[in-house]
Amino acid sequence: MRRCGGLPFFTLFTLTWSLAAGAPVHGKEEAEQLFVRRVMPMMQDKCLACHGKDENKIKGGLDLRTWDSLLLGGDSAEPSVVAGKPEQSPFYLAITRRHDEWEPMPPKENDALTPEQIAYVKDWIAAGAPWPDAARSREILAQKDKWSADGGVEVATSGGLSEDWTHRRYKPEDLWAYQPVKKPTVPAVGAKNPIDAFIHARLAEAGLTPAPRADRRTLLRRVTFGLTGLPPTPEETTAFLEDPAPDAEAFSKVVERLLASPHYGERMGQHWLDVVRYADSSGFANDYGRANTWRYRDYVVRAFNHDKPYDQFVKEQIAGDELTPTNPEGIIASGMLRMGPWELTGMEVPRVARQKFLDDVKDSVGQVFIAQPLQCARCHDHKFDPIPTGDYYSFVSIFATTQMAERPAPFLSEENLSFFEERKYLEQRADFNRRTLANIDAKAIEGARAWYAENKKDPAVFEAALTELLGKNRGAAKRDADYQDVRTALMKRGIPEDQLPPRYVGLSPTDLGHQRIAKKGLERERWDRDRYEAFAFATYSGRTPDVKTVAAPQRMRQDRMTNGELEEGHILTGGDPFANGAPVKPGVLSAVTSLGGMDPSLGEVPSAIEGRRTALATWIASASNPLTARTYVNRLWLWHFNQAIAGNPNNFGVMGKKPTDPALLDFLAAALMENGWSTKAMHRLILTSDAYARASTHPHPEQVKEQDPDGTRYAVFRPRRLTAEELRDASLALSGELNPAIGGIPSRPEMNREAALQPRQVMGTFAEAWQPSATPAERHRRSLYALRIRGQPDPYFEVFNAPNPDLSCEMRDASTVTPQVFSLFNSQATLDRAVAWAARIAKESRTPPESINRAFMLAFNRSPTPEEQQACLDHWQVMTKLHHKSAIPKAERPREVVREGVEENTGEKFVFTEPLEVYADFVPDLHISDVPPATRGLAELCLVLLNSNEFVYVY
Amino acid sequence: MSTPFPCAGSRALYAPTRRDFIYGLGASIGSIALSSLLGPHVRAAGTAVNPLAPKPGHLKAKAKNCIFLMMEGGPSHIDTFDPKPQLARLHLQEFNREGKMKSAMESGKRYYVQSPFTFRKAGKSGADIATNWEHLAGVVDDLCFYRGCQVDSVNHPTAMYQMNTGNRFGGDPAIGSWVNYGLGTLNQDLPGFIVLPEVSYPQGGAANWSNGFLPAIYQGTPLRPKGSPILDLTPPEGITRDHQRANLDLLGTLNALHQNGHQQHEELAARTSAYELAFRMQLQVPGILDIQGEDARTKEAYGIGSDATDAFGRKCLLARRLVEKGVRFVQLYAGTWDSHDFIERAHGNLVRSVDKPIAGLIADLKQRGLLDETLVVWCGEFGRSPDNGVRGGTAYGRDHNSKAMTLWMAGGGVKAGHTIGATDELGAEAVDCVHHVRDVHVTLMHLLGLDDNRLTYFHAGRFKQLSQFGGSVIKELIA
Repeated sequence: MRRCGGLPFFTLFTLTWSLAAGAPVHGKEEAEQLFVRRVMPMMQDKCLACHGKDENKIKGGLDLRTWDSLLLGGDSAEPSVVAGKPEQSPFYLAITRRHDEWEPMPPKENDALTPEQIAYVKDWIAAGAPWPDAARSREILAQKDKWSADGGVEVATSGGLSEDWTHRRYKPEDLWAYQPVKKPTVPAVGAKNPIDAFIHARLAEAGLTPAPRADRRTLLRRVTFGLTGLPPTPEETTAFLEDPAPDAEAFSKVVERLLASPHYGERMGQHWLDVVRYADSSGFANDYGRANTWRYRDYVVRAFNHDKPYDQFVKEQIAGDELTPTNPEGIIASGMLRMGPWELTGMEVPRVARQKFLDDVKDSVGQVFIAQPLQCARCHDHKFDPIPTGDYYSFVSIFATTQMAERPAPFLSEENLSFFEERKYLEQRADFNRRTLANIDAKAIEGARAWYAENKKDPAVFEAALTELLGKNRGAAKRDADYQDVRTALMKRGIPEDQLPPRYVGLSPTDLGHQRIAKKGLERERWDRDRYEAFAFATYSGRTPDVKTVAAPQRMRQDRMTNGELEEGHILTGGDPFANGAPVKPGVLSAVTSLGGMDPSLGEVPSAIEGRRTALATWIASASNPLTARTYVNRLWLWHFNQAIAGNPNNFGVMGKKPTDPALLDFLAAALMENGWSTKAMHRLILTSDAYARASTHPHPEQVKEQDPDGTRYAVFRPRRLTAEELRDASLALSGELNPAIGGIPSRPEMNREAALQPRQVMGTFAEAWQPSATPAERHRRSLYALRIRGQPDPYFEVFNAPNPDLSCEMRDASTVTPQVFSLFNSQATLDRAVAWAARIAKESRTPPESINRAFMLAFNRSPTPEEQQACLDHWQVMTKLHHKSAIPKAERPREVVREGVEENTGEKFVFTEPLEVYADFVPDLHISDVPPATRGLAELCLVLLNSNEFVYVY
Repeated sequence: MSTPFPCAGSRALYAPTRRDFIYGLGASIGSIALSSLLGPHVRAAGTAVNPLAPKPGHLKAKAKNCIFLMMEGGPSHIDTFDPKPQLARLHLQEFNREGKMKSAMESGKRYYVQSPFTFRKAGKSGADIATNWEHLAGVVDDLCFYRGCQVDSVNHPTAMYQMNTGNRFGGDPAIGSWVNYGLGTLNQDLPGFIVLPEVSYPQGGAANWSNGFLPAIYQGTPLRPKGSPILDLTPPEGITRDHQRANLDLLGTLNALHQNGHQQHEELAARTSAYELAFRMQLQVPGILDIQGEDARTKEAYGIGSDATDAFGRKCLLARRLVEKGVRFVQLYAGTWDSHDFIERAHGNLVRSVDKPIAGLIADLKQRGLLDETLVVWCGEFGRSPDNGVRGGTAYGRDHNSKAMTLWMAGGGVKAGHTIGATDELGAEAVDCVHHVRDVHVTLMHLLGLDDNRLTYFHAGRFKQLSQFGGSVIKELIA
């Protein structure tokens, strides 16, 4: 080593290791360095979890904590290391993963050591495998500063569970998202739009020329779906095609028109709701209705339509109830925190359910606003990201005083309060259920009396209790007291059970089944009836109330500051809610503050009951938070280009995909903040770029495939399939059936009948069937407004990749699977759209060619070619002829449904008949049997167009 | 117009990111099997391969397929396969239980309940089995009972999610999805993961057979017991096959013209082909599900035709047919076994409805030489407690129990004729060969030739796996 001349010893040594692992190691001192600096940290990271950390759970009998235990070996009783001989050392052979005798270690393929790490171990063993004692190790580690250039950078955090984690190093490129946002210089390539300047630079780098500008027609369809989720109308197409202004100018006008459309907020709202996991029910066992979430959904639509500054949008969703406690908007916005599935039944441990909420809300806030999937730090310091488990629980502690409630929040003038009359169906069902219970209870009482007579016992006590209790309200659902209540009351008075009639006296399995359904129905109705009241699905800050089950909507507690548990923050060892580790205070992510150069005082979170979330909201929505703006502009980019700049929009951590163009991402983030966090300003910037306006075909496709296989240089525009919601909404738009009203209580489209009437279990019994809304105006709302029940997803939306609302969806899938054909080609719903569309065309045109032209203009915003025109006319004629012969029966709709289930108490099958109240008033859509053969023939043509590739894809 | 345009000429430009492929459902779709459908055309893109093509596992597989009998609701081990005579002594003795770590259901005044069922030793192996399992007793030497499994949740949907997906909070892929992801499927014309639910869906619904974060192609396909087996398999009334053929022809023409202008968009061809495939499936699917061709003796052996056993017998027979056709993973539901009250009647009825069909299935698989390559699993989401809560009186039922349950496996590679593990003298908690359910999952995958530690998928910041964080094989269960 001395021969290295003037170079400091450690610097050179470092270079040797980092650049050429496997190079010979000379001398004991060097081997010790290798062990302390490289081998031991690796072992701590990859081996000790199973081989030493927990003395009670040492796997394979092998303890790797000390040299002696290493030599002792494991169950094999062979020494793990033979000094000087790596090829004879089981420890080495196991980590190579290529030895027959020794199982690959670590067991998980994804934990496999890097070739570099394997080489370190080999070198260390070859050099005699020295294991310096603690004092010597400390001495070596004390020379830390000399290593500063090596193995990445250290990150200042609040500290991990171990020193090694606290001082571990990261590759600088893995920390890209935590660096302060600095507006990059726009490349000087003469582009008008700075986005194009960045993109041109990357195209030039690859020697690529971009595709030409798309034609106006294509562009109009692209941007109209992109900003509103609806197709352009023929009138809009004509206006744009005929606009004499230059392309860019004419297109800007279109963008402005669309940004001003109320449907813009619906489309952006859909994107946002995908990320926050919107649903109208709670999931799990009871899947109770969440009757007021629609107000949060409409809040989101309003926020986009009003171009609410994004920082404010963020703050309101995290802490709206604290920030503006008297403003309904703020209370409604806080519903975002509760979007995950959650319930507390008597079968759950309340503490576990509470922790589930805390983990969920923290996860959601982390992924949605700052692209940090924190759950990996629940049980240990984060394996990849600079998130110690202490930070995780500090972050969780912020929400330790967040409570769930349906809170009063007066309706706003902008909210759509139409269709509330549907409430009568809930009332009808409640009456039905009460009648059922009364009938069954009469049988039970009769049975009880018979029992007294049969057993020659005096029924006086029973009769007295009956008179006393009957007619009184019971339970959350406010049903009448019944035989069971009487019997329970008597038992409580100390009457032995054998002196009382049996529990289910007088009732058959069918009665028992009906009774359960009716009781549960009343319980469920209790949740649903809040839909028409001015409540918000919201949060408040307070102590945690002591509740064992949540079977009815919860209201904010008046004694919230004094009554209940003030949850203290602890690290929960291994994520176990009953294993309190070190105490923690509420706080934010320390690495973001340190790496992002944020003012530390911004990240100070009070320990008082109120204000914790306000502090968090301020920290996240701060211009100095490096993650927030980047996360958002990355999503906006994805929503327009169908791919994100950083490929995992919910994960900017080490394991997330790196941005393909970091400078562009930073430019956009800086631009967002410069423009006062205006979303619409970002749309203008993005949509008026040349990159957005490019054609989806390229004159030299081979070149593009070679130079830009992933499409991240944006030489062409990437086409996309319409989403499930767009497919349905566009069909309704073409057919003229769409009710374009904004917002309001959820709509219930006509789901596939079999799926709608599919019985499904909720805790102890069955949930009610899906009934469509009574009138076309209610049913034919935008799909955004369709009721989303977690336990009963609409198969049409599901098959076209509408996301599962239990997981945050950072990006939609667009699969092509055969069941989509059944949904689109065979379903009653598509046929109904086709019929209504055909009837509309027939009304709006005078000749068959004109009809075809109108159909094409509506569906594809273009006229047919002569070839297409002819093919369609021929088809129409052929189909009309077929329909002259076809007799199609009128569509019938059920008034009740007979269903089957297994009764829990008896294990016997039973049948129940459920009334379908809505169908009494049902106003059907135009049916194929309602129209003459020529319209039927045209409807079949329309069905084909709705299934065509040109309709389904956007270019 | 069966192939409206040639695929060969198209030049795909967009890398097929995040999209899946077509699978068929037909029994013997000759002209377009999946491989040819995706064939040269997709491969030309350079990146895509058929995600359902059969793949070798990580290990030597003991079984090719799996039939998973999901007894939802939580069957009682104490009343089926794990007799607890000590309970007779404690019968109706009361006690109180409270605690922060207990749910409302487990808390309060409780009483012990002896089993209303009698037990016997069956088969050469002398396995313990309640006497009302008349038929299963006949195949008991083919089963391996396991009494050591524990789960984390005493709530149905969370426990169901844990048993079916490894993650009790839902959102993860089901076992069948993982198996298809790892092994592909042997029949490209059928989904590789088929679910035969009860008429009513279980608690937690379709999430019990969800693909979770895996691509949608790995989702379980429920075949509906009533009505159309697959939704919208047939068109509405009035649209006949003639109409459909004519419509498809026009669709082909329009799509071909459209594709001329979009040569670089490769998905178009696949989407068009899906329509032809679907058109044929409409005819073929009902055939696969039609068990009329089976001989009368076979049907009788499954209990088909008798009231109590007909429904589950049909499912069991269909499961065998599907496995025969190369479906990797078939899951059957029966329930609900949630007998909080009057367990004698409730469990009695349920046992009657599944006993003969299951015994028929095991015997039939064996006789056809399929049992060796088919892993059969019987389990619920948890076991039941030796005691019951006083809810309006004593009703001789049992509450949920996450600490003890009995499951059994048969066929492909399991240690038939053995009972592994044990619970304490009351059946409250497993005490011997105790494993978390994750180890059952690892073992199941192991038998199918998959190493859970190597079968991972990157999602939300980390590589996920069925066992969540890794587990170990329960060697005692393997022959």
